[in-house]
Amino acid sequence: MDFRHTEDQLLLAETVRDYLAGTHGPEVLRRLDAGEKRDPTIWQGLVDMGLTSLLLPDAEGGMGVGLVDAALIAAECGRACLAEPLVDTAFVTVPWLLSCGDTDALAKFASGERRIPQAHKINPYWADGAGLDGAISIDPLRLLYSNPDHAVDDPHLLNLGALMSAAQLVGLADAMLVQAVEYAKIRTQFGQPIGAFQAVKHQLASCAVAIEFSKPVVWRAAAAMQDGMDSAPQHVSHAKIAATDAAILTAETAIQVHGAMGYTYEVDLHYWMKRSWALAGAWGSRTYHMKRVDDAVFGDAHAIGPEQTFA
Amino acid sequence: MHLQYTPEQRAFRAEVRAWMETNVPKEPLVTLECREGYDLHVEWERTLASGNWGMVTWPKEFGGRGLDLIQWLIFEEEYFRAGGPNRANQNGIFLLGPTIMEFGTDEQKARFLPPMAKGEVIWAQAWSEPGAGSDMAAISSKAIKDGDHYVITGQKTWSSRAAFADWGFGMFRTDPESKRHKGLTFILFDLNSAGITRRPIRQLHGETGFAELFFDDVRVPIENCLAGEGEGWSVAMATAGFERGLMLRSPGRFQATAKRLVELYRTHRAEAPPAAREAVSLAWMAAQAYAYNTYAVAAKIMAGGKIGAEASLNKIFWSELDLSMHRTAMQLLGAEAELKRFDNGRLNQWLEGYIFSLSGPIYAGSNEVQRNITAERLLGLPRVGVG
Repeated sequence: MDFRHTEDQLLLAETVRDYLAGTHGPEVLRRLDAGEKRDPTIWQGLVDMGLTSLLLPDAEGGMGVGLVDAALIAAECGRACLAEPLVDTAFVTVPWLLSCGDTDALAKFASGERRIPQAHKINPYWADGAGLDGAISIDPLRLLYSNPDHAVDDPHLLNLGALMSAAQLVGLADAMLVQAVEYAKIRTQFGQPIGAFQAVKHQLASCAVAIEFSKPVVWRAAAAMQDGMDSAPQHVSHAKIAATDAAILTAETAIQVHGAMGYTYEVDLHYWMKRSWALAGAWGSRTYHMKRVDDAVFGDAHAIGPEQTFA
Repeated sequence: MHLQYTPEQRAFRAEVRAWMETNVPKEPLVTLECREGYDLHVEWERTLASGNWGMVTWPKEFGGRGLDLIQWLIFEEEYFRAGGPNRANQNGIFLLGPTIMEFGTDEQKARFLPPMAKGEVIWAQAWSEPGAGSDMAAISSKAIKDGDHYVITGQKTWSSRAAFADWGFGMFRTDPESKRHKGLTFILFDLNSAGITRRPIRQLHGETGFAELFFDDVRVPIENCLAGEGEGWSVAMATAGFERGLMLRSPGRFQATAKRLVELYRTHRAEAPPAAREAVSLAWMAAQAYAYNTYAVAAKIMAGGKIGAEASLNKIFWSELDLSMHRTAMQLLGAEAELKRFDNGRLNQWLEGYIFSLSGPIYAGSNEVQRNITAERLLGLPRVGVG
């Protein structure tokens, strides 16, 4: 029993975090937003780092790592508000194809040649559809297409998608909290930084609490998926709800702390906030996931109680 | 991330379960906050000690079993699964005990820890004073050295367990000229010492669990001082860290409450407000999240890490979870919520628990203070206007 990431996992996540911080900062989001929305050099950089083939076995050119590692990296993609469809391809479609044994398609995803993820029926609007026609998202960097005709209805794919959305949401929440804290340190009113006022501090502290207690739920769900536990779906739903609630609380608090600046397009916060709104509803709404938790709590399939923490 | 128990850990769970199933009282004990209930809870401490379950993580020489934190979590899960009573000696075993282990001399460890683990000496805390609650550095009670004794004068208040307990611990100003955090010393004292007057305070529920303590020239031997004279603040901060951090409220307690809440919903679903069902699920989710987080913290500590200001996140989370679970229970109970005993004669534990949960965001450092600590020490926001 050891509820910790390994040194290797943390090192890998840190490498991705540093890479994205260096190549995919807010100025890049603004440039993409003002221009073509996608930049092939960003995607190629992710491919070159080995991220598109991360979950492939060693023998097939991957790193042979599992969903726990992938969830950590998905959180980093959230932190950077990555616009490219890396998570839904490499960490959702690829492990699903692995479970299906579709090696032909796998190779194309691993090489980065294919970048449109496998669609699922739970999602009426689908990202990433760069170059296709579709609905318009409030998230300017999320390129949708509607009602994809190749959508499947496999619960395993849904669980992978919901898990990786949850992981991105905790990263998004972390980033929004940092932005709000940094703004509260420099914005001065009544002769002091607004972050010195307890009314501001306490709201930000509540976000820190929500984020702190959503992360282990996400890692626990990733481990349950990786280990193929029967109870994995309930853990995924728990993770999706906990991460969504933490991200939405932090988004709303961050805009409040930014005041009128938070209501502008020029402050970067809105990119993270809009991605959070989108992921909150993607891969199963809160209602959908709440129903699955309800089944776990009130149904007979799984025992609950203090001795059932890791059941 | 390895989330399976070893065969040894599973065997340990079975051992705890068997003992608890035999020994935990079948009916809930009367509240710890009255004479009758206090005596029953002390008796339970001694029963626990007879099975050598007083404080499983302590070294054997001090009356423990020398177990690690994962085994402690398993013990706690089984304790609450079996419906084990609240711990009369929690101020001792969870707060003072770890503090003595960190700061005490060998003599102090040998003298105070074994009777604590055995439930022979029950401890009260004496943190607050009428003018020093959240602002603990405003303490004004004095302990002035006179030969080989301190002479204590002053007043403490809201002292948990002090109405009935045997010994107490708290901070006193040993340097009368000192201000704020300096000049404070951490002292242990016999509550039956000459010059101590206890005035039990009637609490919200009508019982008298905590008390005011008046000190009139109380002579305490200097060997009862923990760590050095004037070092009280750093000792107290360590104690407070234990209180907010891992040990005081283990997850099993809240998972057991969440499970009882599910049962309560089942028996009251016909009249349950629509939002209550989701509230029950959210309670279960939060209790599970708290458990995962605790396992993560335990693993970190076992690998040599420490918990610092993160303890404040913990304290905010469990206290607000406990309150929200009991608030939901009161809604589900409807017209029965106000009853002290149900028509079948059983104690209304939900009402008792609800009243107790209202104190959670206050004791062990109010949640306002915890949010300040979180904002300033974890998030790095500026401190202004506090000395």
